[in-house]
This record gives sequence, structure tokens and C-alpha cells, in this order.
Amino acid sequence: MHRSIAWLALLLAALVLAACGGGDDASDGGGAGAGSTDPAKVKGTVRAIMEEVPDTDVVKEMLPEFRKAYPGVDVKIEALPYDQMRDKIVSSFLASEPTYDLIVVDNPWMTDFAMGGFLEPLDERIAAVQGYEPEDFSKPLRDIADVDGKTYAVPFYNYALALVYRSDLYEKAGLQAPKTLDELKAAAAELTSGKRSGIAMQPQKGYKIFEEWGNYLLAAGGSIQDASGKVTLDSPEARTALQTYIDVYKASAPDNSLNWAFDEAIRSASSDRSAQLISYNWTLPTVNESGKPFAIAEVPGGRAVLGAWYWGVPKNSAAKDAAWSFAAWVTGKEREKARVIAGGAPVRDSALDDPEVWEQGLGEDYYKTVKAILQDAAPLADGPNAEEMINVVGNELNAAVAGQKSVDEAISTAAKNAQEVLDR
Amino acid sequence: MLRRFPIRYRFLAPLVVLLALVVAYPLGYSVWLSLTDRTITRPETSFVGLEQYGSLLTNGGYGTAMRNTLVFVVFAVGIELALGLALALALQRQRWARDATRAFLLTPMFVTPIAVGLMFRFLLNGQLGPIPAALGSVGLSVDFFGTALALPTIVAIDVWQWTPFMVLLLLAGLESLPRQPFEAAKVDGASAWLTFTRVTLPLLRPVIAIAILLRALDAFKVFEYVFATTRGGPGDATDTLQYLIYRTGFQFFRLGEAAAMGFVLVGLVLLLVTILYRTLLRQEARA
Repeated sequence: MHRSIAWLALLLAALVLAACGGGDDASDGGGAGAGSTDPAKVKGTVRAIMEEVPDTDVVKEMLPEFRKAYPGVDVKIEALPYDQMRDKIVSSFLASEPTYDLIVVDNPWMTDFAMGGFLEPLDERIAAVQGYEPEDFSKPLRDIADVDGKTYAVPFYNYALALVYRSDLYEKAGLQAPKTLDELKAAAAELTSGKRSGIAMQPQKGYKIFEEWGNYLLAAGGSIQDASGKVTLDSPEARTALQTYIDVYKASAPDNSLNWAFDEAIRSASSDRSAQLISYNWTLPTVNESGKPFAIAEVPGGRAVLGAWYWGVPKNSAAKDAAWSFAAWVTGKEREKARVIAGGAPVRDSALDDPEVWEQGLGEDYYKTVKAILQDAAPLADGPNAEEMINVVGNELNAAVAGQKSVDEAISTAAKNAQEVLDR
Repeated sequence: MLRRFPIRYRFLAPLVVLLALVVAYPLGYSVWLSLTDRTITRPETSFVGLEQYGSLLTNGGYGTAMRNTLVFVVFAVGIELALGLALALALQRQRWARDATRAFLLTPMFVTPIAVGLMFRFLLNGQLGPIPAALGSVGLSVDFFGTALALPTIVAIDVWQWTPFMVLLLLAGLESLPRQPFEAAKVDGASAWLTFTRVTLPLLRPVIAIAILLRALDAFKVFEYVFATTRGGPGDATDTLQYLIYRTGFQFFRLGEAAAMGFVLVGLVLLLVTILYRTLLRQEARA
């Protein structure tokens, strides 16, 4: 008797499995099941976690529209400050019951999250969305989400760095946006006068100085890693870049600003106490609110450090189809255009090239510059343990600016420590 | 089966189970973690024994963070004790508006430490902050977060926030002291200083010991001020153990190593607590 029940149970289980398999097959043909984004069929609640930033607010405002397109899907967004958000994402990965079904991924985390097996590979799902055109995403952005030949996330918004400068002050001094580090140094020195500094910097230990100095490094012709991932930081170019950074800081940055980060630099520029800064390209509308005319240009040297946020579906997500439906919807060509017009940072070439976006957004110059920046931008870091690598290098850079270490000592220690971190 | 256990153990059982769940299990788990190379982003974990404890000896960053933390604790608690005692003695003699003054003095304690950190980050901002602006008007330029002053600045923030706590404890202690020894000292013609060093301080010793203990335990956990103002910089001038542990465990995902770092700190704190008890409380018993 007992044995026959066991057999029956096994048979049932087999049937259920077969049914699921059938669902999977059907999805390739565009039907229901895993990977489906059919608005009539996808159902569920998506608990999404995002960072407290202007781009998140833009997405929040698009939710009612999504609800109309997908009546069966309820997206709940929880926005938190950066560090708290990362801690919660990692806890959710490890929990037996996930807290989040859809997450945003910062590019230094990409390889670690993908290799840790926390993210759902999205290639098949991307291919199944009609008219999605993933190749429309700026190439450097696509490359970051590609880990060992698989795509683990889709771009949400970029934070490539740009030179954000006071166009009126530049004009008055008869200057052009600097094309080289020497020109930047000269322009910063010339624009330093009285209470206004020539440039606001962010030499804070760790991430912030790394992100800013990376642009100096690229301008000097150096690099952090080569194509194979080996650390190439111990170079004369890196030393030149750091020496120039220190010279600019000493000559033209606000006094005693060694612990400054992004916020202080923005505030300084907004309150007419600095003539320019190297910062995220989307800070332009923020600094322009001050009433002073700011413009953006490519960073000196023309190659910027690229940072970007992505949408990722955790492997333990309780609503994968619904989560992906939202990610695919919000990153689709049409939504991208609306999102950029509403103030979101662009990730698709089509939005950057769209005259309607130019007109209703921040103007043709802005989007053309952003497109030029994105085209050849180099990712902040690539590979496993990227976050730690950024921190150990940023530590040495800050020590050199503080005068605790010589440029030479800081660069060679940074290179050695970075290689150790990557080899771990 | 239940009869084998006397009734007193059965009454104790719920508490034991609760403690095991909320204290012993997490503690035991983190001891286990510290003996493995558990890294969140890697699926495989192996047992490495005491290897991670050993490697802390040669970890320069850990040594620096340990030194910074000890300097922070000694100076912050020391200054808070001296200031707190002075304020408590003054407040004890106050005649009017006692309650209002006391309530006002305690306010810094009610602010969450991360907010205090952020507040000072902007108050002390070289270009935009009011404090450097005020100093600038008399021709002074102070680099509060530079190499030389960053750690003292963080000590000062802690002193601003936690001196009131010392005042609270010491004032309560002072007011509960018996009057007779003070009257006897007065009759004997002892000076104020002599009364303070020979009567007040010895009588107050247990309260001082407890106050130091509570503040030191809390100061070892310094994290928010560092996180909000310097992130451990310039270089590693203000890197503290808690911030290092946070970075290792949460930012760099190496839970095992972070746990080992944590347990060394626990060991150190237990040692200090024992020493404090012996020197301050036992002498009291002998006296």
C-alpha cells in the first residue's frame, strides 16, 4: 500500500516536471513560462531595491504607466542610501527567502555577483523581447554586464565622468574647455581668484579619489589593468597623472579639502565657490539650479572613467518573470526616451541621437557630449574583487595627496596591493 | 522523562533556550566563520583554522587600525572623564535653573551618531563650513581633516557628543555620596583641593570605574564619525577597527576574515575590562 502511494507521488512529480519543461520550451516561441514578458500573462509582486538618487525618482514616476501596461504586476520600490543598499542586497542573496526580486547592480559588483552565482543570466530573456535592440545600448555599457560571455544585467543609467565647468568664467578668461591635463592645470590656476577656487576636487580616501583620478590616469595614457586583467598601474604615466593631480589640488582646489567627496564638490560649485569640477555628467542640471551657467565637456584627454548602474534579476528572486518584465519595459527604446526626457541619465544611443530628446531635455550639446563620452569610456574597474581593488588603490592615492607618501611610493604600493587583491 | 530534571531547571529552560538562540548561536556561528575563509561571493568555503588570526599579525592595515582605535579610546574617554567630572562638580553646586541646565547639557546624546558625524563634516568643511569661516575671520586656517588633526577632530566630535553621558553618571554618583565625610573634612579644616582628592575621588571611584567602562566599550565601536567624515583617511590616519571590519566583511565580502578581526577585538576588550575591574573596583573593596 505504502509503496504504491510512493510510486503515485513519483509519477505526479514527473508529470509536474514535464509540464514545467513544456512551459520552458513554449517560452522560446514567445508563449507563457520562464522568460515571458507577455503583459496579459505575467503576474506577481516585484520587490525592487534601488539607490536614493534622482534617477530612481524618475523611475518611480513611471510606475503608474507600467501598471497600465502590465496590470498583473505590482512593482514596489524601496530606495536606500548606497552602503545600506549594498548590504541589504547581499543579505537578500544569502537568505533562504529573498527580500528582493529585482535589484540594481553597480558596475564594480558585476563580476563578483555574477561569479558568485547570485544573478540570473539574461541572454535568452533579452533575445525573447521583441524590438528590444540590446545593441542600441552604448557598447562600453554592454561590455560591463558581460561576464564570461553571458549577460547578467541590462543598463539602467550611466555615471560616466565629465568636466562640469562654468561657461561664463571660461568665456570671460578667453579659455576653451581643456583638452589635456596641462591645459586643465592652467585653466584651474587661472580661474582661481579670491574666494573662488579654480576647481573643486574629491580626494576622499578610497572610491572617490579613485574615480576622479582615473580620468587623470587615462589622460596621461596610463591604465589600471590590461585586456587580460593584469595590473598595469606601476607605470611612468600613472606617476605623471598622480603628480599632476597633486599639483592641481595644491594650486587650485579649495584649502583643506582632503576629505571632500562628490557632495562637497557639487555644493562648492553650486555656491559659486569653485569654477569647475570633474564629476558625473548628470550633475549638470543640479549645478545649473544655482543660476550660474554650467556646461559639460569631455574630460581632458577625451577618455572618461565610466560608471554605470544596471538592472539585475537575482537568482533567488521569487518573481523572475515579473521582475524581468519590468526591467525590459523600463529599459526598452520607448521608455528610455521618456526616461531621459524626464531627467534620467541615458544609456541608449537612440535616445542620445533623438532630436525630440534634445529639445525637451538638456539640449543638443549636452547629449552629443554624453554620447562622445560614452563611446570610448573605460570602466571604473573590471573583474573580481573590483570594489576592494578600487579601495586599496584609492587609499594610496589619498595618502600621496596628503603628503604621507611620495608619488613613487604610492603608485608602486597601489600596483602591488591591487595585484594582490585581484589574485585572491 | 521530564522528571529527571528538577523543577528549577525546568523553569530556567525557556530563558536558556532563548539565550542559546539569540546569543550563543550567532556567537558560535561567528567563531566558526572566523576559522573558515568564507567569502560571500564564492560558493566554496574551506576550514583554515587559526590561519586568519595569524595573518592579522602581519597585516599592516590591521595594526594601524588597532593603534588608531586605542589612541581614540584613551583620548576620547580621558577627556570626557576630565570634562565630565569638572562639569558634574560645577552642576552639583548650581543654585538656580538646575533642571533646565541639565536637560540642555544632555541634548548632544539624543542625536544619532551618524547625524553628528555628517553635521561636523559640514560644520568643519574648509570652504563652506561656519567654523573654519569664523576662524578665518581672525586669520586662522585649520585643516581639521588633514593628516595631523583628523584623528584629534574625531576625538573632539566624540567628546562633544558623549561628555554629557559622563556628566550624567558622575553627577548621580556625586549626589548619592554620604555627607558625613565631607562634614568631617570641613571640621578638620581641609582645603577644597584636599577634600576633592582625599574624599570625593576615593568615594566616587566605583562610579568613575563604571563610567569609564561604559564609555570605553562604546568608544571601541567608533564607526559613524569615521564613516561620515574621513572614511579612514587621509591615508589611514583615522582608520579604526570597526570601519576596517565593516569594509572587509560587507564591502569586500570576506566574512571569515572580518570575524577573526572582530574576535581579536573582543579578546582585547575583555582583557581591558578585567584589568579595569581589578585596579579600580578591587582597591575599593580593600579600602
